[in-house]
Amino acid sequence: METRGRMTIDAQGDALIIGGAIDEAAALHELVGRAAGGRLVLDLAAVTFINSLGVRDWIRMQAAAQKAGIAVELRRVAEPLVHQLNMIIATRGNATVTSFSAPYACDNCGREESLLIDAFANAAGLAKMEAPQMPCPECGSAMAFNDFPERYFSFLQP
Amino acid sequence: MSSILIVHPDRKTQRIVQRILGVTGHTVDIADDLEQGTRLIAHLQPVLVVIDGSAVMSPRIDEFFAAAKARGAEACMTLLGGSAVEQVPKILGMGAVTNLLVHPMPVLAEELTITAQKLIRNDIFGAEKYLLWGTELASTTLTRASQRADLVAQISNQIRGQGQSARVASMAMLVADELLSNAVHNAPVDAKGEHYRRELPRADELELDERHQVKLRWGCDARYLAIEVTDPFGSLDRDTILRSLAKNDVREHGSGAGMGVALAYRSCDHLVFNLAPGKRTEIIALIDVRHPPTERLAASSYNVFVERS
Repeated sequence: METRGRMTIDAQGDALIIGGAIDEAAALHELVGRAAGGRLVLDLAAVTFINSLGVRDWIRMQAAAQKAGIAVELRRVAEPLVHQLNMIIATRGNATVTSFSAPYACDNCGREESLLIDAFANAAGLAKMEAPQMPCPECGSAMAFNDFPERYFSFLQP
Repeated sequence: MSSILIVHPDRKTQRIVQRILGVTGHTVDIADDLEQGTRLIAHLQPVLVVIDGSAVMSPRIDEFFAAAKARGAEACMTLLGGSAVEQVPKILGMGAVTNLLVHPMPVLAEELTITAQKLIRNDIFGAEKYLLWGTELASTTLTRASQRADLVAQISNQIRGQGQSARVASMAMLVADELLSNAVHNAPVDAKGEHYRRELPRADELELDERHQVKLRWGCDARYLAIEVTDPFGSLDRDTILRSLAKNDVREHGSGAGMGVALAYRSCDHLVFNLAPGKRTEIIALIDVRHPPTERLAASSYNVFVERS
């Protein structure tokens, strides 16, 4: 495993697994050189946060990928990154998000959980700003989506 | 006699705000709109004017601000209810509103009272003012720039250990990281006002002597998580703050100086700047840990307080 500041990078299958904090030491734009077959696949489930310098680097990475004609696929995008994708339009680039985490809360037992949403399997509902139904991992009750869909899913809009 | 002037079109909100601000001991005068407010102000000496967000969009607002300033009004405070949240970018863009409280109406009494008391008493510093009695604030001082990473991780671990969600921990990490980075690299100025550490690579180690040390405090009272960062330079000014909060290029391009402050503002529920020019800058970020995102407004409050000498 490679460490850059607070961020870790691990190659697994066709994806680079990114973890920890994306900050001034991340040098994400260099990852474009690791694309294989014209694709750069990033698994982002373990990202804890991204600061403003990390955001700049992220945008640089997206721009470099676009310039090189590389398709960027983002898998299991963690909530902190989803917030940035929603807040800063330039972070979206031309990347395809295949799955992402979203906040849910159980009205029955009070559990809050970040649950993975398959963006392709749920594309129709997400286009209508409808969060997919999810069962509570603790009590099995239906969980409620714990944010405003029109705000949280806005990064998926073209 | 000094007074507080409220300009708000809604009678119920007028009464609520009057009751809240009446506890300050000042006479509270009320106007329904800016025209009436401008007429009234000519006969008053308000220490504070409180206006509704919708009034800020009126073409008469500049005239009103000028009249308030001429009569010695200390600060303009704007209240913004749920339906008016879309006005926040416009209000920020004006660069004249130093205190914005965003909350579903009726207004949250604590925020309004704290803001008014800080302005009236000229006692602006300390996160304690926003937290319930008895709340412990952890405190530490940065003596090396590289401590930022450990401290941010430590805050996150403590927050998670207290049972708060990963979302709250993540917001706290981002806010603490940006405020600390800002205090270490942007705050230091020399005699000419040059920010001599602004361009230094953030990843580089820096020993912080007593003059450059940054104080971090944080605590949670089960309503708010407060993160307070203080530098001893006092170089941040009101106009720079308002420009940073209003940055549009953050949303469009994610670029520009002051992006860290803009991100911190968008990542917390209330950002408070306490300024003693040339002496110290204290920034307090408040994160609401009570209410889920669905019960909060899609905009954040801010205050810019400047200590009167």
